[in-house]
Amino acid sequence: MPIVFACAASHAPGMTAWTEAAPKQQADNFLGSYRKLGEMLTASKPDAIVALTVEHWANFFLNSMPSFCIGRAEHYDGPIEEWLRIPKARVPGDAKLGKELIEACLDGGFDPTFSDELLFDHATFLPLHFLNPQMAVPVVPVIINTLTPPMPTARRCFALGQFLGRTLERNQKRVAVIATGGLSHWPGEAKHGKINIPFDKNFLENLIARDFTSLTAYTYDEINAEAGSGGHEIRTWIALAGAVQNWTAELLAYEPVVPWATGCGLVAFHP
Amino acid sequence: MSLYQLQKLIYHVNRDPAQRERYRQDPAAFITSYELTEEESKAALKVDLRTLYSMGVHSLLLRPFSLLHKVSNEDYAKALKESE
Repeated sequence: MPIVFACAASHAPGMTAWTEAAPKQQADNFLGSYRKLGEMLTASKPDAIVALTVEHWANFFLNSMPSFCIGRAEHYDGPIEEWLRIPKARVPGDAKLGKELIEACLDGGFDPTFSDELLFDHATFLPLHFLNPQMAVPVVPVIINTLTPPMPTARRCFALGQFLGRTLERNQKRVAVIATGGLSHWPGEAKHGKINIPFDKNFLENLIARDFTSLTAYTYDEINAEAGSGGHEIRTWIALAGAVQNWTAELLAYEPVVPWATGCGLVAFHP
Repeated sequence: MSLYQLQKLIYHVNRDPAQRERYRQDPAAFITSYELTEEESKAALKVDLRTLYSMGVHSLLLRPFSLLHKVSNEDYAKALKESE
């Protein structure tokens, strides 16, 4: 089956942990669009969700930091943050699909690590809370290191996405692919709360225009300076752009929400 | 090199409920499992955000750690602004 659904979404913890700190209109518009995206995902009747995601020290530490890790667990627990105001739950995993993707990668020139046990922090759990609210659809996490340098390049993330997209086209399952993170933000930094609206708009324009040359040209230094330490998460969006290269991106919402300290974006992709 | 140990301590407290409980029951005893300098031990026990940040603790370890200590967004921002 081809990929049946694709979207990219930000995951600022303030969306649930301090929802009401945001101006009501911004919060209503953004979270309303998030739920709408969830309805679109459900309507696509996926057998599994492949999450191009990141993490915030939920699993990996500086003793061993993979650039890419694919999960093949039967389930994933989360969220690890007791302050997130999202109830703890066990998310079903699609171990078989995870294993198939890992093997395809190793045959195809990518060498991700793999894991039979991963915890989810808000990076994965918050999007699933909106997109897969019953936690009914099993998940395969593809974790990209956007946390601490050195990180995989935008070009390499795009290539991985492209490869996963081609691999999923040959799979029997109906798969929804979601990307999570970004846009510009400086979480927990002295510049916490800063949002670079021109950077975000330019990135979204590149995504919508399918300007893969620009998308793969973002460097660590450019992202770090212009979009902040949290901005590195746009690598997941770039990977998704590779996975659904011929699809059209539709901007559902962009809200620079200062109390959530994040340029918050939601994009649906259409075949 | 003990920044590694300091960050490891915070990583354990943030992610693992059992270790978090041990930390909450007796922080001073908990931190003896990590090879910290005297300054690092002091900053960790005081949850001195300004010092921990200036020591190089990763922001995505520090902010969740501060949230476990119920530090508001405003107070967190204030603590870090002073460190600029």
